[in-house]
Amino acid sequence: MASNNSIVSFILDGKIVNIDFNNNNKYTPITTVLEYLRSLPKHKGVKEGCAEGDCGACTVAIAQINNYNQLTYKAFNSCMIFLPQLHGKQLITVENLGTSNVLHPVQKAMVTNDASQCGFCTSGVVMSLFALYKNINNPNKKEIDDALAGNLCRCTGYRPIIDAATQACAYDGIDKFTKNEAEIISLLKSINKFSTIAIENDTQKYYIPFTLYEALKLKEKHEDAIILNGGTDVALRVTKKHEFIAEIIDISEINELKQIKVNDNSIEIGAGISLEEIKITFENNFPQLSSLLSVFGSKQIRNKGTLGGNIGSASPIGDTIPILMAYDASVILVSTKNERKIPLRDFITAYHKTEMEKNELIKSVDIPKIDKDTIIKSYKISKRKTLDISTVSAGFRLNLDENLIIKDIKLFYGGMAATTKRAEKTESFLIGKKWERKTVEQAMPIIFEDFNPLSDARSSDEGRKIMARNLLLKFYLDTN
Amino acid sequence: MKKVYHESGVFHVSGEAVYIDDLSINNQLLICKIVHSTYAHATIKSFDLSKAKKIEGVHEILSYKDLPAKNITGPIVQDELILAEDEVSFIGQGIFIIAAESIEIAYEAERLIKIEYEPLEPIVTIEQAMEKGSKLNPTQTMECGDVEKAKKESQHIIEGEIKNGAQEQWYLETQISVAVPGEGDDMKVYSSTQHPSETQTLVAEALGIKKMDVEVETRRMGGAFGGKESQANIIAIYAALLSKKTKQPVKLRLSREEDQIMTGKRHPFISKFKIGFNNEGIINFYEVDMHTNAGASYDLTMPIVARALTHAENSYYIPNAKISATPWKTNIASNTAFRGFGGPQGMLVIESAIDKIAYYLKKDASEIRYKNFYGIDDRNITPYGEIVENNRLYSIWDKLIKSSEYKKRKVEIDKFNKENEFFKKGIAITPVKFGISFNTSFLNQAGALVNIYTDGTVLVNHGGTEMGQGLHTKIRQIAALELGIDIVNIKVNATTTAKIPNTSATAASSGTDMNGMAVKNAIDKLKKRIAQVIVDEFNKDKEQTLSKIENIIFNNDYIFDKINTERKISFAKALSIVYKSRISLSATGYYKTPNIYYNKDKQKGRPFHYYAFGMSVSEILLDTLTGYVKMLRTDILHDAGKSINTNIDIGQIEGGFVQGVGWCTIEECKWDAKGNLLNNSPGTYKIPGITDIPDDFRVNLLEDAPNPNTIRQSKAVGEPPFMLAFSVFFAIKDAIASIGNHQIEPNLNIPATNEHILLAIEELKKK
Repeated sequence: MASNNSIVSFILDGKIVNIDFNNNNKYTPITTVLEYLRSLPKHKGVKEGCAEGDCGACTVAIAQINNYNQLTYKAFNSCMIFLPQLHGKQLITVENLGTSNVLHPVQKAMVTNDASQCGFCTSGVVMSLFALYKNINNPNKKEIDDALAGNLCRCTGYRPIIDAATQACAYDGIDKFTKNEAEIISLLKSINKFSTIAIENDTQKYYIPFTLYEALKLKEKHEDAIILNGGTDVALRVTKKHEFIAEIIDISEINELKQIKVNDNSIEIGAGISLEEIKITFENNFPQLSSLLSVFGSKQIRNKGTLGGNIGSASPIGDTIPILMAYDASVILVSTKNERKIPLRDFITAYHKTEMEKNELIKSVDIPKIDKDTIIKSYKISKRKTLDISTVSAGFRLNLDENLIIKDIKLFYGGMAATTKRAEKTESFLIGKKWERKTVEQAMPIIFEDFNPLSDARSSDEGRKIMARNLLLKFYLDTN
Repeated sequence: MKKVYHESGVFHVSGEAVYIDDLSINNQLLICKIVHSTYAHATIKSFDLSKAKKIEGVHEILSYKDLPAKNITGPIVQDELILAEDEVSFIGQGIFIIAAESIEIAYEAERLIKIEYEPLEPIVTIEQAMEKGSKLNPTQTMECGDVEKAKKESQHIIEGEIKNGAQEQWYLETQISVAVPGEGDDMKVYSSTQHPSETQTLVAEALGIKKMDVEVETRRMGGAFGGKESQANIIAIYAALLSKKTKQPVKLRLSREEDQIMTGKRHPFISKFKIGFNNEGIINFYEVDMHTNAGASYDLTMPIVARALTHAENSYYIPNAKISATPWKTNIASNTAFRGFGGPQGMLVIESAIDKIAYYLKKDASEIRYKNFYGIDDRNITPYGEIVENNRLYSIWDKLIKSSEYKKRKVEIDKFNKENEFFKKGIAITPVKFGISFNTSFLNQAGALVNIYTDGTVLVNHGGTEMGQGLHTKIRQIAALELGIDIVNIKVNATTTAKIPNTSATAASSGTDMNGMAVKNAIDKLKKRIAQVIVDEFNKDKEQTLSKIENIIFNNDYIFDKINTERKISFAKALSIVYKSRISLSATGYYKTPNIYYNKDKQKGRPFHYYAFGMSVSEILLDTLTGYVKMLRTDILHDAGKSINTNIDIGQIEGGFVQGVGWCTIEECKWDAKGNLLNNSPGTYKIPGITDIPDDFRVNLLEDAPNPNTIRQSKAVGEPPFMLAFSVFFAIKDAIASIGNHQIEPNLNIPATNEHILLAIEELKKK
């Protein structure tokens, strides 16, 4: 490959920054954007509060060219982005918004509403507000909550931050960035987005292919490489567990994985589409998936995380899995030679283990369209409503006949076993019976026989069982 | 006065505010990593540092054998090893400290260190400590009246138990310190500490140098909440030890997980109580036994116990009381200060007891609360003998009951609960009375140094530290008001031990009270000096109607004679005259809180300068199937005296309340049997987020409530609002109770997580 393909290019402070990882001893391909910024003399506004995407103090904005040849600005946790992932994008930090003398409208509103106390979360809050400012004019309370759920503040109790958001986001997103947009777009377009970026130094390899075929070829060659699709999980291995990852294939830039294909009987969702986009796009087709995603992580995490990533990591508490199973979703796997479709139920085989072969990648998730007789619901119980992993989650699917007799019922639970698990005894008790409160109440104790969950930091086993049991009743109530 | 924003606001929002991790230190900066114990209790049979020391980029690894002075430290009682010797006593205890060129190298070195442990059985819980008789300190008991006699005379006696969990401070900025060596023994330490003087003392002791050699500087902390009152010290000690050894600057910043594992939390308590009362619900006696998990060492446990004792009766007059507290020693990280400092734990028990009386008598708990409030002229002596003066419980109650429409909403809630099977609402009103002053009387002193420059600008130094609470903002306002000049000409300097010696921690909500007075004292001295010169100037060439010093006024950037107002000179111009007259424009100030004393043996005295009062009404909606709680509305009326800065005070109230709600609801710390903290990262430890605040949040300050004998008649506001969150806890309990038609008291402890709420509902339904 050509030598310049080890160069990662992005815009910071209005200029293109080129980093050649093959000739560099300061940064490695798994240096996070947070670490990078804090190593610079003029970007120390970005703060490390947790280095695991759970506090938002490190929030930055990233601008990219969208399909309408405009820039879209989104908030991200800089602690969960590796430096090469900035390739072809504009990185915006709190320093770029304004100075203490000349403040951006969101900064000014934060000051005049007394929305900072210790100030350590503030630059992150400001950046989430900036993304909100650029995207939604006069946001409502729900939109403000959604934009800021990923930013923890221990001092203020949030009320003044909400007031600042309400007050600041009233100018149609117009600000100093609006003026420079054309220039930034042309700079971004000058950056290579065609030939695979291959960082190969003595100890580490990091590839960014731009086509699926290139990615599959790389996967064939480097079969032990970690696949990074978004990377909210992979980043934790570096920032929290301090693992050294030798080989990464970053498939986040592949357009073919960001497609939505509407078939006659199903919708195929590309594995690389961000969870935030899925949440917005499928509000009508798959409302229960969308509603689950509204309490999935935070906006910063959903902007980054993908469906392929969430499924591929096969976590027992992966939030999307029970509902996708209830939707009877399948995973489409590809290799250079083959493409195959496996029901999601069969795809995850054990704790963090899947059916995927070493030369394969998840291409998409195929969800059958729902007929009007099928009822689907998703539930998630967590200690905190937002930005928390589920204690118990559930995806339920129900088919009734005209006399309310249960033709089929599938009860998928997350958090109750090493993988997402069905309440099979409860299901068989219910099938053939009438969907009425009495039946459901008779079925509820059977849940206890279906599961033997763990006690852990999130809940006791007893608590989990009660939650699982109660969700069945809640499902019944929600169908009436 | 026009609205004054936080003095650092514009720096916070632009990223320009400098925290310790942002300091530009030279390129010789080394990074420190602590190698800590992974066993709660074990002997260290052997260890091997040789491989780790060989790694390129590792400059030093110290064990206890390499320390230059004593291997013992601690804020009050010195019982903490700086580095563990042959036995470890909690998970997170430092064993070695590494100085390396980068954190990655330090991690690599840590992986190569071999430690051979011989595990011993740990004590993790209060119950285990009781079983093994592992007391940290003898039980402290406070008594008043005659409890035994009262037991015979009470119409009703009931008993109960209530527990509260630990709470992690979760300041956004983790513990951090940078030590920079100078000439000779000099050591400059930048520390995120609430107590620079103590950090200075303990660094000096650990390094075997003198206090004059150590300067500790704190510009600002990214949050502290008590967590950096004593537990910032060890971080500074480690950085300074390695800095002394390597003769290079050393930075130690804990990762979030390290911080959660290694540092202490709010003390968990288990308390048993017995309470006697009449048919009206008026309390005759109260007997309470509090037991707390102190962790592995003393730290601040004893003053925390003292505050639990002196707040055990909250706002209620109790004629006969026996209040005891026992700290138990266990193998977890030593628990420490956290906003409220034992007060919340003490107050939780009496609030629970009152709730229990209400269930017993089938009355609304608010009625029992009101009936037992301290009286204005009688029934106003606390169990420790202090008279509750300037009691504002009734004026707050009257206003809040009306403005919150408590009674009307209570009826509506009952109706809602009758009509809804699975969603239940609850409401509660709870009061706070909080004593202001350090329980340890001698700590109630503060110093200041005010420098006026000839251009008319003023640099104020004082011993308090800024952790976000707005102390420096208020000090700036105080200085501006006292000097009669524009606030833009006043700056508050970073806190440093080189300017103000022998300070107390910025804690016990006392920062503004004490440092504000000390600053005023310095300014009073300066004004006197300036006024003398200006009087002389005014009186030059005059024989009659001479200006007198007592008539000189400082206002609006001018100095004038209030009798002869045409005699007027600008502040800046006056300074140049004062300077040329060879009069010092620098003065120190000092303050000690008057009329406070306490006899610890008798547990009697007047420990508090005054009391802060507040009340809160909260209404919640509970999903009884999932345990989710939605806070519908909270009304708070709080007494901040004559507020110096209303927006800052409201910010403290809202923030303190939400932090309290976190403790009462979603913040949970669990340890496994081996002493591992399970909730050791933000992935499993959940502080309130933006959706965890009341939908309708109404916070007001009590109006027309000047506080006699404090700086500008204000009141301390840092800690008291934390306990306003009890209204949420008891509202949740109220909602659960509605399932059983309020006939059965739910068994609910703190934290009321959705899990514990569901378990309480289960239990209630079985009864």
